[in-house]
Amino acid sequence: MLGVLRIQGAVASAGQARLLSARLLASKSSTDMTANARCESTNSPATEHFDIIIGGGGLVGTTLAAALAKNTTLADKRVLLLEGAPEFRGFDPSGPYQNRVSAINQNSIELFKSIDAWSHIESARYKPVKQMQVWESNTDALIQFQHDNFASDVACIIENDLILDAVYARVKEAPNVEILNKARVECVRLPRDSSSNLSELQLQDGRSFSCDLLIGADGANSVVRKEMNVDVFSLNYDRMGLVATLELGEDACDNSVAWQRFLPNGPVALLPLTDRLSSLVWSTTNEQAKKLQALPPAEFVDALNEAFCRQYPRVELADKAVQALNSLFGHNASQHQVQYPPRVCGVKDKSRATFPLGFLHASSYVCNGAALVGDAAHRVHPLAGQGVNLGFSDVRYLVESLAAGAYAGFKLGDKQHLIKYERKCLAKNVPIMLGVHGLHTLYSTQFSPVVLLRSLGLQLTQNMPPIKNLFMRGAMGQ
Amino acid sequence: MLRKSLFASEKLRQSLVRVLVRNSTRSSSTATSLDAGTQKEVRHHENHASEWWNQNGTMGALHALNEIRVPFIRDGIVSRGTVKPGYVNTTKVLLGQHILEVGCGGGLLTEQLARLGAQVTGIDLGEKLIEAARDHLKCSSPELASKVMYKMEPVDQHAKANCESYDAVIVSEVLEHVDDKVALLEASVRTLKPGGSIFITTLNKTIPSWFGGVILSEYVLNLVPKGTHHWDKMISPLDVQRILDTMNCQTVLVNGSTYDFWNNTWRWINNTQMCYALQAVKQPLSESN
Repeated sequence: MLGVLRIQGAVASAGQARLLSARLLASKSSTDMTANARCESTNSPATEHFDIIIGGGGLVGTTLAAALAKNTTLADKRVLLLEGAPEFRGFDPSGPYQNRVSAINQNSIELFKSIDAWSHIESARYKPVKQMQVWESNTDALIQFQHDNFASDVACIIENDLILDAVYARVKEAPNVEILNKARVECVRLPRDSSSNLSELQLQDGRSFSCDLLIGADGANSVVRKEMNVDVFSLNYDRMGLVATLELGEDACDNSVAWQRFLPNGPVALLPLTDRLSSLVWSTTNEQAKKLQALPPAEFVDALNEAFCRQYPRVELADKAVQALNSLFGHNASQHQVQYPPRVCGVKDKSRATFPLGFLHASSYVCNGAALVGDAAHRVHPLAGQGVNLGFSDVRYLVESLAAGAYAGFKLGDKQHLIKYERKCLAKNVPIMLGVHGLHTLYSTQFSPVVLLRSLGLQLTQNMPPIKNLFMRGAMGQ
Repeated sequence: MLRKSLFASEKLRQSLVRVLVRNSTRSSSTATSLDAGTQKEVRHHENHASEWWNQNGTMGALHALNEIRVPFIRDGIVSRGTVKPGYVNTTKVLLGQHILEVGCGGGLLTEQLARLGAQVTGIDLGEKLIEAARDHLKCSSPELASKVMYKMEPVDQHAKANCESYDAVIVSEVLEHVDDKVALLEASVRTLKPGGSIFITTLNKTIPSWFGGVILSEYVLNLVPKGTHHWDKMISPLDVQRILDTMNCQTVLVNGSTYDFWNNTWRWINNTQMCYALQAVKQPLSESN
């Protein structure tokens, strides 16, 4: 019955005729009447209908819009992208480097290639990472990830705004996608059963929209998720991530290694941006993060260099065990020497920023008329650089599922079909999320037995290529 | 074996003749003039008319079946080469195709095929079912509503007015509820244009399908209302194929399928021991009988 009432701008008169017929038909059954009443009370006459509305024009939401537009099966669907912020101001590839960057894995790059956004990024600027070194503060355990002979990249470090610029360019070309900026969602109404079939939403400025499928790409505090009434498992890590753009010293060489060291308070990571610039992601306690953010630049740089090089109290037993393990595999100590990252010699002005860290997972990603992608469905610790990549893999699965569903005649918002998207996502996301959360927990302690076990585990992984490749493939989304 | 089945189909044919004769003597068909077995089946299904569109109810498996039967029908039609190449892989892939769905029930499959652009006529004997189907259609977009037509009439009556007028006829999850399969198939085939396809999905007549489809799903797991399926009404793909052969329809595809109740999913399997989907093409040179 909701469907009968929707009015699409140009066909308003037809809509009125339908309204009339709906009223006539409403006497048929009482359930129809209630549906009618509910609808009329909320529908302002200016409700505009779209096939798909994406709530949230962040990295994942905008990429989703571009991917939907690119899909041949879904090319005839009208898509609306709602974004709370003012219009995206664009990206200047010759301007200063930005502090919010993402480590994009091969899987996400494939997605960008498939929507023709990769050439845009390639022609601007990005930094491929050839090797990753992860080590810790309490023992000598260390692990290095790279492809054989550095044949291909482990990941690419790309500025978030550049990704956004690339996908926005694709979205703007698309004839079937509209973008609405400064659109703040006031309330959302989802179909409660399969017979009423439209999702509705109202903006704070009073405009209202209806759609077959509402996609929540609106981040960890998703309004759509709240309306979906799904259980959410969330943890506050009481940690903050500190980001900054750093200048490196002469010893950086070609700066193609990503470095991450687990400190007692949390991991600190250097992600290469250029030969002489790196991006910092430092996860630490809230107090320390605030303190670091406020430090004068020179002192901040000192604190950072110390974080990467300082000798922390060792757990001797664990150290011995790691040495024994290495000798068991026939490696001598020199092969497993920790390499140290290039010296940091400066921090860009005003590039320091902090953001809270947490863990979140929605028990369900879909319901009739709605689906969640990205941080709205899951949020992880940035220590493995997985957050946004999981979001992009959601986009791939969702577009695949929607296209298959539409080609099989399913309504876009039909849970029957959306559940397939959820299954694929859960199978991929849950192990990675548990892994990342597990690493965070494992490295948040200095308790000797745990240090011993994690060091042995890390070293064992380093020494056994099949296991290492398994982790690497997982992290690279293959 | 062959002789037995030929004999069986001969017997069925006789009953078909009887049905046809009886039909021709009455002016309009009502549920009261149906034989007792059919009436019972219709009433059984009508009892669940209100449940039909509830995905989480007893029709859940039927909703899930759309995941495989719609692609089966869609690809079957595409493979006949009557779909414009530009429509393939779009949501109007079946645009211009006229489809008859025999035993449409609440219209689960009917609406979904119409959403792919096809002009679908759904017929069923259950008044409440047709009503449920029409009610649901009212909630849909006018564009969809214009592509679907529901009628409460038996297929042989429908065939009289619509001889050779459909590109495809679908008899999905119906054959296992019908005594006189030959009559139903014969009338269905008659509505089919030469070169058109008839699509059938049903349960096989095997111990596994009886155990899974009747015992397990009706009496143990309560997935399907009790009394929905009966051993003596189930039919094997070979028998369907033989019946269709006598009607000048060549079977081009038989796919086995099974239902995973734990995640409400149907999937194709490489044997037809449980359920199957069958496509047969009406040969252009029709030998009328």
